[in-house]
Order: sequence, then C-alpha cells, then structure tokens
Amino acid sequence: MEGLWITKQVRSPYGVGLWRTIRNQWPKLWGNSRIVIGNGRRTSFWKDVWMASYAKETFEFMKLALEQANDALANLEVPVGCVFVEDGEVIASGRNRTTETRNATRHAEMEAIDFLVQQWQKNGLSPLEVSERFSKCILYVTCEPCIMCAAALSYLGIKEAYYGCANDKFGGCGSVLSLHTSSSNLPTSELASSKKGFKCTGGIMASEAVSLLRSFYEQGNPNAPKPHRPLKQKV
Amino acid sequence: MENTESVLPLVCKIIHIPEKPSFLPHLQPTVNVLASVIEPKDANTLVRKLNKIAPLENLQHVKRVQKKSIDGGKPQLSLLLCMTVGNDDGNDCMQYEILELVKSYQLSTFITKVCKYAATSKEEWDEQCKLWPTSGITGFSEDESQSVFGFMRHTINLATSSIGQVVNAAVIVDPSTKQVIASACDQVISSASLASGVSKEGSCSNYLENLKASNLENQQTSLLDGSISEFKPITNNVACVHPWQWALRSSGCWHPLQHAAIVAIEYSAARDLKLFPDHKALSPLKRQKIEESGFQSIGHSYQSLRPYLCTGYDIYLAWEPCAMCAMALVHQRVRRIFFSSPNFSAGALGSVHRLQGERSLNHHYAVFRVVLPEEVFRNKVVDGKTSGSG
Repeated sequence: MEGLWITKQVRSPYGVGLWRTIRNQWPKLWGNSRIVIGNGRRTSFWKDVWMASYAKETFEFMKLALEQANDALANLEVPVGCVFVEDGEVIASGRNRTTETRNATRHAEMEAIDFLVQQWQKNGLSPLEVSERFSKCILYVTCEPCIMCAAALSYLGIKEAYYGCANDKFGGCGSVLSLHTSSSNLPTSELASSKKGFKCTGGIMASEAVSLLRSFYEQGNPNAPKPHRPLKQKV
Repeated sequence: MENTESVLPLVCKIIHIPEKPSFLPHLQPTVNVLASVIEPKDANTLVRKLNKIAPLENLQHVKRVQKKSIDGGKPQLSLLLCMTVGNDDGNDCMQYEILELVKSYQLSTFITKVCKYAATSKEEWDEQCKLWPTSGITGFSEDESQSVFGFMRHTINLATSSIGQVVNAAVIVDPSTKQVIASACDQVISSASLASGVSKEGSCSNYLENLKASNLENQQTSLLDGSISEFKPITNNVACVHPWQWALRSSGCWHPLQHAAIVAIEYSAARDLKLFPDHKALSPLKRQKIEESGFQSIGHSYQSLRPYLCTGYDIYLAWEPCAMCAMALVHQRVRRIFFSSPNFSAGALGSVHRLQGERSLNHHYAVFRVVLPEEVFRNKVVDGKTSGSG
C-alpha cells in the first residue's frame, strides 16, 4: 500500500506539512474517503473549496456579507450577514436584527429583501417587474439560509445563493430541508411549474463565518431566556 | 385519558397533527422490547429500580407494567425491562444492571412488541393496548375547547371578511389570559385592489364550499392524499397556499412575503417593544455592562415580566402555514398552532412538510387542526361569542 494508496513516510522537514498531516492521520482520512472510478484519463484526489475554484468576486462579495455579520456581532446580534448582487453590483445588504426588533424572524436575508421590495416599490415597479429583478439576484450570506429564509428566497425566485457555513439545525438549503430545489411532491403539475428553485453553493469562507458565530455564543446570547442558555460567567 | 370527541358536539373537533405521518390504527410501527413476567409483590420495587437504570426515554407513552388476567381471573403482571438493541437477541446487549436484576429476581425474559409512537386517536390507542398498554391521548377540557373554537371563529371571520376576499388570517393569543396579542391578514396584495373584488357574501360561501369539501373527506387521510386542484380558484389569494404566485397580482401596496403569520409576528414584536420599552432604551452594550456589574436583579425583573418572543402563546390560522410561516413560528417560539384548513400545495405542518417532526429544530410546537361546523361560516357575523375579548 505504501507509496501507492498511502503516501510514504514523510522525512523532509520543509514544504510537506500537508502530506505529513495526511500520513499521520491516515486512518481518519481513509475512513472518510471513497474511491470513484472515472474514465481513467486523469486522477483527482479530492474536490476542495479553494480560492481558484470560484471567481474572485465570489469571495469579495462574501467578505461584504461577513462585514455585515461583524456589524451584527458588534450590536449583540447573532452574527449573520448578507448582500444581494444584481449584474455584479451590490444592491442591498442586511444583517440579523432579531434582538433589537424582538422579532426572531428578522434575519439578514429578510432585512435585505424588505429593503429591496420597498426600494423597487418606491420606483413604481409592478409585481411582475419586481419578480424579474429578483430573478437576476445572487445572494451571498455567511450562513446557510434557514427554512424560513430558504422558502422566502424560493417564493421570490432568486437566481442563485452562496453561503458560508452550513446550518445543521435550521438549514433550508440541504441541511434539514431542501427548499432551494424545485422538485417536490406536489400533487398537481400545474402548481409545480410555478414553483421556483435556485442554485445554491455552500462552504464559501465558512471558517470565517463559523468563528464569528462561535465568538457570539461564547459570550452567551443575551436575548435568550434565563434557563434556556445561561450566560457564561466571566472570570 | 379522556377522548374529547365524545364530549363535544360532533361538528366541532380539534385534531392533533402529530410529528409523524398517520398510520392506519392496526399498522402502527412497533419496536421490540425485553419483558418478563414478575411476582406482583415485586412490581413496585422493580419499576422504581428500572426507572432509574433504564428509563424509557424514547417510549414515554409506553407503560412499564402489563396486567393480564389469565384463566381463573388471577392477574398476571409483565414488566417491560428495556428496549432491545440491534439484533433481537436481548440477552447479548442487556445492560449490566438489568442483567443483575434479572438474576436476583430470577426473571425469565421474553421479547415483545410495543408501539413506537404515542397514540393520536382513540382508535390508535385501542390498537396499541392490544400489544402493550400505553398512555391514552390527552385531550382538551370542555372549557379549553370552547375557547379554541371561539378563537378559530374569530380567525375565520378575519380571513373571510376583513378585506372582502378569502385570505389567510393569523391571531396570536395568550391562552393564560385569553387575550389577543396580535392579529393580521395576508398583506401580499393590496387591500385597495381587493376591495373592488367579490362581495363579502360571495367570498364567505366560497370559503364554506372549500371547507365543506375538505371536511367531507376522512379527517385522517385528508391530510395525506387530498387534492387542491378543484378548489384552486377559491384559495387564489391565500398567500400560504400560493406563495410563488405573488407576481401575478395587481400592483399597489403589496409585499410578496407579508403572509398573515409573518405580519402577526411583526405586530406582536412591536407590541412587546411598546409595552416594555425600557429594555430597549438602554443600548445593548450598556445593558450588558449593567448586568455584568451586579445590577442583575433589575435586568431579571424585566426579563421575568416581559414574555420572551411568543413563548407560551398560541396562534390561530385559517390555513395551514407554508414553510416560511411555519419556520417563522418556530423562531418566534409559539407554543401551539391551530389551523382550520389544510394546505396541500405548500403546507408545512403535515401536508407537504412536517416541521413539528424535525427533531433538529431548537423549538417544537404542538399542531392542531380545528374543524368547525358549517354554520360558523354562514352566520359568522351574527355569532356573538366569536370575539376572543381583548
């Protein structure tokens, strides 16, 4: 096996950190690997979310969303932020406002959507025109949209969404439910045709998004009821 | 223990929508458990010991002891020891403490079946008890049922009469004081463009027909295999039923996501801010400083006075909410949801999705469908008992 499926023992001190780690934690890696046989023309070891895999602007926009999340954190809100992009330009941004409004539905996406709807209405756009505008929108959000937001995004019919970290508890884009896919067990085909899905990609700058959330929950959620999630005592 | 259906007039019903899809009473899923016949004198001690070492965590509804009268009328007691894990050979994976118990009381164990989920109807419960006794379904008291029906009438009045056409309506209620906290209708389309639409009476009977049709079906199965197509023209304006079709509406003052439940949550949050403004007057940072510096009692007295979001509140909806609204109600920590008509095209509480059964969510509400007699929709204006005060 060694030298074929397992890398050889790493002895060189420089530039081989990645391989050393792989070698040292081989059982862990192997336990999480599977072999896929393609057409034999090339060997690809893994698919990695890396800077080069996406356009540079994807990360630029996600950085803006992270800025929004940072702003939320500074205001003792759950640090999730987002931006809406149309034709390569940011047209709206939003961040969590659940504590301030005492309304747990005021997620970053909802804030940005409300801004857009108001703006477009002010400009005299009809519902059909608004729908058209939404269909050109790409959302960048630091955390996977929850079931509520994913449903809302589907109702609006946005074009695409990129998110940072997944949301195992509430996620509506694959984690708990998959509301971004247009297929569903609807009884009538007629209704299904009006239902819209959107393309959704996760894992963009996920670690940044997670570390923001972690710093929030370490300081304790001041908005949660007392017995629910006790504040950590500061030493 | 009591089955509400026998107490109330047949036309009024509160039907619990469980966390899992319905099964035919005799086809309910079961799990294998390890049991043993015991001496009646040992029953109390054994049950106490077992509850400590092997509590029935996922089988809260299952009773520990089965009492059977064998020939001659002599009662025989069987005790449920624990769930079997993996293969059905119970002895192999038995917990050490239970093994000790089996030895010291000289129990001869056997494997039997119990129902996996709590019963949701009298029929289900009857079937369950044939296998192994379970606790019966918990019903609503007469007083509570009347209050539920009253609020549902009020909600349907809103849904059918507020802006001249059938929409969804949401009423948030504090059940401890029977006070309406907030109420709202769909605001997806402008009320102005609707007012010129169908007259009150027309929309009322439309809703009635729709409801009649859906109620005529068997209550249990209607949630699973009903069809919406024939009622489509009537429910056209109910946001939760057609959440994707907002763009086809006329222009004016509108918002694609202002479904009734979302608006009601907004109102209740605004009410909270208005009634307990002090908490907001302090900047969040300042508040944290105060709480850290030992003035905690001040902060806490506010916390205990004002409700946390909608904790403890009920919401009444004319239509089963869509995924967006149902999840919004999870976020806002609503205690119970009562709806009148199922929503087969987009309902998220049993029809298309079943959010109350998603265990990963951090909050779970109980869901009920309330069936009201036809007269409610016909004479809704005349009915004096409708308004839930407040």
